[in-house]
Amino acid sequence: MDQMTEIREFMKNLLAIRHDRQPFSDASSLFLSGRLSSVDAVELVVFLEEKYGVDFAETGFDQSLIDSVDAVASLVRSVKAVDQSAFR
Amino acid sequence: MNTIVSPVQAEPAPQAASRLANFRLIPRIETYPAVVSFAQTIAGKAVLLVLFGAGLAYTIRTLKDWLVLTLCLALITFLPARRRLLVTISTLIFTFIVPWKAYQNPVYVFSLIAGVLALGALLFWFATLWPRSWYGRRPIFFLLCGFAALIVVAAYTPRGTSFSRVLWDLTQILSAYIWFICYSLLDRNAPGRDPVALQLGTYRPFWGSTHTPFPKGAAYLRRIEARDAQQFAVIQLKGLKLLAWAILITLFGDVFNKCVYVYLHIPTFSQALNLSANRTPLPWYICWGSLLAGFFGGIISLSAFGHQVIAGCRMAGFNALRNTYRPFSSRTVAEFFNRYYFYFKELLVDVFFYPFFLKYFKKHHKLRLVGAIFAAACFGNAFYHFGRDLTFVQQLGLGGALAGYQVCIFYCILLAAAISVSQLRHRKPAPDGFIRGQLWPSFLVVLFFCLLDVFGSTERNYPLVEHFRFLGHLFNLNF
Repeated sequence: MDQMTEIREFMKNLLAIRHDRQPFSDASSLFLSGRLSSVDAVELVVFLEEKYGVDFAETGFDQSLIDSVDAVASLVRSVKAVDQSAFR
Repeated sequence: MNTIVSPVQAEPAPQAASRLANFRLIPRIETYPAVVSFAQTIAGKAVLLVLFGAGLAYTIRTLKDWLVLTLCLALITFLPARRRLLVTISTLIFTFIVPWKAYQNPVYVFSLIAGVLALGALLFWFATLWPRSWYGRRPIFFLLCGFAALIVVAAYTPRGTSFSRVLWDLTQILSAYIWFICYSLLDRNAPGRDPVALQLGTYRPFWGSTHTPFPKGAAYLRRIEARDAQQFAVIQLKGLKLLAWAILITLFGDVFNKCVYVYLHIPTFSQALNLSANRTPLPWYICWGSLLAGFFGGIISLSAFGHQVIAGCRMAGFNALRNTYRPFSSRTVAEFFNRYYFYFKELLVDVFFYPFFLKYFKKHHKLRLVGAIFAAACFGNAFYHFGRDLTFVQQLGLGGALAGYQVCIFYCILLAAAISVSQLRHRKPAPDGFIRGQLWPSFLVVLFFCLLDVFGSTERNYPLVEHFRFLGHLFNLNF
């Protein structure tokens, strides 16, 4: 499963737990629109830490960073880029 | 690639049920293209303002407040390009000009307010200027510690002196602004952060708030601001609808209070608690009546207030979420806390939960979660209320106020423990069926918060044991 699909699946499960049956696109706002709450953000934070090594204590945390599938993917890409440049 | 995902394949609902589910007491006017187009014209804006002003006239009791608020909203409606600046100007008008005659010595009060605003601006400026300094890395910790120290100094300054009076007044005013300053400090490292002038517009904004910032701070306002004329029209229509809701809920609340307290003669919770503490308790069913009436009455008044404030915020072009949204549909304790008083929960999460959760016990998931929940729902909650109700410290002294605070601390511990249990249980989709899946869990959650309300009294008149005694009376246990 590629990165986008994994993130999408995770968001899909979070919405399913909340009985949210509305479709969403990769650009759809999920947290700022109120479809997901800070409780869900915690699960997403743990997922991103464990799966992609994102450390919000370093990057700083803001819900806009994880507001949509696109935003999460972009965050993961930026963290990976920083990691790679650190190893050069 | 932009994929559309449907989380759960919904089964086709029966037609009657579907019609019922789609029924709206107030129609979704913001989805009607003709209405949205009209709301973008000058005539449409004028109609919106007249309707909103008429609604505000019902909810705002003083003519001056109503007139100034309506004028501020009119300015923002017709000059949306200057929205953020106008929000700041309107907020300053509501801070310094509107309440001028409400104070005996306005120059003195406004000097103190100006001092607190200047302090907020300085702290924000220093944090942006030296982000890597000891202060720049933890400005909120610094601010909250400073506030706590100020309370201690004020409490131990000999009473009756003018210095003591000034110190207390300053502490009270800082207490009213402290969480707004916190949101500014949270915004310090954001890439497109607002300058101090615009941050000031979020310090007790003109559409209203409590000690809790509605709706959060400048960073949130930037994200929810209308980007074009169509969005602005949609948001304003949503604001108008929300104000209509606020009026309906207020009317319902008036009827509810009249039925419960006038026709049914049910005593208020405070009266029932007093009688219980004086060893003349009411029958158990009347105690339940008082508790339930106080609990539901509290939710009704908070909903009406929150809707009115957020309606004003939406009318100014910010698509803020409602403060209270269907609390009785919550299936978990954490969900109720989120739905009942959204912006208070957000404040606790932003200032206390995340800083703990993102820093400590990363290898121990459960400890980390419980620690962060206690940092927010217990410590943060208790600190917020202690800092808000400073009159008790002023009257009873620091030791007396802390002793009288035992009930509130117990409430916070119980709440944090319940949220922790709720969050540690494995989250899974609810079981099928309306009764097992929705009604029963919601009933249990509402019952829990209702019983928790026994300890939620803000009066601090009685020790914890008296609240337990009242709890016993609810189950016909007299001790």
